[in-house]
Amino acid sequence: MTDPLFTIKGLCVDVPGRRLIHDLDLELPGGQVIALIGHNGSSKSTLLKVLARQIVHSSGGVSFAGRPITDYSPQDYARGLAFMPQTTPPAEGMTVRELVALGRYPWHGALGRFGPDDHVAVDSAMSECGVTEFADQLVDTLSGGERQRCWLAMMVAQQAGTLLLDEPISALDIAHQVEVLSLVRRMCHDQGRTAIVVLHEVNMAARFCDHVVAMKAGRLAMQGSSDELMRPEALEHVYGLPMQVLRREDGGKVAVPA
Amino acid sequence: MNVKAMIWLLAAAGLGLVLWVMAAMRLLPGGWPAFPFDPQGMTLDQILLTFGLMPRGVIALVAGAALGLSGALLQAVLRNPVADPTTLGISGGAQLALVMATILAPGLLEYGRWPVAVIGAGLAAALVMSIGARRAFAPVTMVIAGMLVAMTASAIATAVTLARGEYLLSLVIWNGGSLVQQDWSGVRILALVLGFGAVAAALLARPLRVLSLGAAGAQGLGMNVAAVRFAVVVVAVVLAAAVSAELGLIGFVGLAAPALARSMGARTMGQVLAIAPLIGALILSVCDGVVLTLAGATGEMYPTGALTGLIGGPLLIWLLPRLRGSTPPGTEAGEGPGTRLARPTRVLGGMACAAVMLALVLVWIGRVPGGWAVLDWDSFRAFLPLRLPRLIAAGAAGALLALAGAVLQRLTANPLASPEVLGVSGGASIGYVATLFMFTAPGQGPLTVGTMLGGALALMLVANYARRRDMPAERVLLAGIAVSAMAAAVLSAVMATGSKQSWQVLAWLSGSSSTVGPVQATIMALLAAVVLATAWYARRWLQVLPLGPEVAAGVGLPLIRARLALIGLAGLATGAATVLVGPVSFVGLMAPHVARRIGLARAQDHVLGAALIGAILMIAADFGARMAGFPYELPLGLFASLLGAPWLIWLMMRMRR
Repeated sequence: MTDPLFTIKGLCVDVPGRRLIHDLDLELPGGQVIALIGHNGSSKSTLLKVLARQIVHSSGGVSFAGRPITDYSPQDYARGLAFMPQTTPPAEGMTVRELVALGRYPWHGALGRFGPDDHVAVDSAMSECGVTEFADQLVDTLSGGERQRCWLAMMVAQQAGTLLLDEPISALDIAHQVEVLSLVRRMCHDQGRTAIVVLHEVNMAARFCDHVVAMKAGRLAMQGSSDELMRPEALEHVYGLPMQVLRREDGGKVAVPA
Repeated sequence: MNVKAMIWLLAAAGLGLVLWVMAAMRLLPGGWPAFPFDPQGMTLDQILLTFGLMPRGVIALVAGAALGLSGALLQAVLRNPVADPTTLGISGGAQLALVMATILAPGLLEYGRWPVAVIGAGLAAALVMSIGARRAFAPVTMVIAGMLVAMTASAIATAVTLARGEYLLSLVIWNGGSLVQQDWSGVRILALVLGFGAVAAALLARPLRVLSLGAAGAQGLGMNVAAVRFAVVVVAVVLAAAVSAELGLIGFVGLAAPALARSMGARTMGQVLAIAPLIGALILSVCDGVVLTLAGATGEMYPTGALTGLIGGPLLIWLLPRLRGSTPPGTEAGEGPGTRLARPTRVLGGMACAAVMLALVLVWIGRVPGGWAVLDWDSFRAFLPLRLPRLIAAGAAGALLALAGAVLQRLTANPLASPEVLGVSGGASIGYVATLFMFTAPGQGPLTVGTMLGGALALMLVANYARRRDMPAERVLLAGIAVSAMAAAVLSAVMATGSKQSWQVLAWLSGSSSTVGPVQATIMALLAAVVLATAWYARRWLQVLPLGPEVAAGVGLPLIRARLALIGLAGLATGAATVLVGPVSFVGLMAPHVARRIGLARAQDHVLGAALIGAILMIAADFGARMAGFPYELPLGLFASLLGAPWLIWLMMRMRR
């Protein structure tokens, strides 16, 4: 295995009166789709936000591509890593193209020229995510799945090697869930990107992700391939509920509560 | 309700009582009047006590309770923690009706003041509710509509009074809220109204508890939501209007009482409805006790309504971090997709031309005794140096306020943010007053600097709340309202001293541009250009920031630096404009809104459009202020709100959905 993308050592996160993450040691590999799963309140989203520098950890260290994350300037970090929040805010009066172009901020900054490179990056991001046909429509008029793809396009335009997604499919129907996750998977495997995705649906995680990290009450419950996750003992350990693993005709595994 | 809260309530009650008894003792060297009260057998002091001070003490309790109940009902029915008779325009409507009746048809008041007040309050409430109903009663929309209605009402009332030359009367009316009583009739009327309100609230408590699930949930349980809403609003309107009719405008009690009740642990609807009036009564009673004590110590009589702001403002600021969130998520979704212009550049160009043309035309025409006149060439040359500077200064001030508003709205992602609403104008006016008192006869330079500092400080205070994680928009708003209320109270208190400085404050409040010279006009115009250029340079920040801190940090924006820079810019712009216009104008709220409503969506278009609209508004307002009440000159800021607010209300009513 090559050098890990994220190295987490002794990470603790506190909010007043409570410790959310207890002394976590973890290494996350690059170039894969990594699922962060766990029960409600297991601090999987908290961990993601620490990696995105959205919240500051209390102690321990996190390094990204060999450097502590606190060493990066905001702009440099955004060039390496893009983050999508769980609820995407309303983009009032903004067209899809403008939203995607915001992803170029880390490259041109507050005053730099929006040059040919930027135009190319925006166009290819939109076509990669299949939103070119909406380019001049208002973001708020699109459906949930289309809007999610626009936000993904913004992250792509950021040209960051690492994407952090906080429950990107929680508000979508099953067809759009598959569509968005397939897109994320394709983006990683074709372009050598890394995606770290917080997911609720264990079957989705197993089907679309190469590597699974399971959190339980602020601690690491297990990590490994999706085959290692899809075992009744492992699932019971993560979710605290007896689970049964069924086999589909094509050999894929499906977990259901026993 | 815990023990600590009980102790606080008892202490407040004790304080109110002690202050009142002290006032009574000052009045009364002799014995207390005997019961039953018979004016024939009393000394003058005893009569003053029985028919002045005693009803005053009681009416403070009754009126405070009525306001507290009214606020609690409105907050419950709208599920909106910033609703109260003042923020929803109900008190403003009542005051306007009273002023109009006094001036135009005094005969109407023969049947008592409060039927007139109820009609005015009812109309204002109906207007605000009809706007709100289109947006599923979204809290922020309701408060925008309410404050616009209140400000239009107050502008009309003041303009009508001032146009008749009754300069001081208007200030007395609008800073009102004096609790002075001559007999027990006011107490009797208010007690009757409060009794009716209490019975109605008791009957409505259970439907309100069901309604707290949200309209859809309540409908599912078989409730007639519209009927319940209507009944509750009627009760709240009658309560607030009765207080307005008897005592004038007493802000804040209706807002603070339910908030305090909740923070003291009142959880259920019944508890809030029972405790809020109690707290309201205590707030007003303590405030009036302080006023009485000040009157005894200094001989100055302050209106009690002004003091509620002085005490209530800090109270609310202290309370804010402790408030539990009571707005359900998703209630702000009523806005719908906005409009967007295909070719903003043409519209912007047109507006720029319009602004220049307007300024030229308005130099040309004017009013003379007995009619209107268009200047011939010679008089044009004579008038140009007199009129042009003030038009330029007014336009620049309008642009500055509008820029501050646009920057703040984008910075906080809050459509209500503006220098006036966030208390920046209030802070700026405190800065102005402080400079007046600190230096003997300060010139324009120190006054401008002091005003800017005041504005920036107030903005820092409010931004402190805006910056916290997960701080909902309406809470930031509450902080702003608190700062504004405090500033208003300081101004009223200064005015009541009648000192040399108070006259300067009065002249400034009426915000005239008549004294502006060419130098000052040039400085204002330069300042506006600098702020506009800075905002244009920061356009990418302004484009990303409305998407929230998560996204902004995600694309690598230096959040803290950007926020500080933009806050400083807005504070500076507001301070500079406030020196000229005075604290009441609302151009900073209106212009960015209008710009967005007509479809200027991109940050740079929005900022530039807002600045142009602000300039046009203020130039037109300057002309109107000179002409409307000729030969009297109306306050500039007041006229600006008179022009812009009805337009914005109309825009809001016309919106889809």
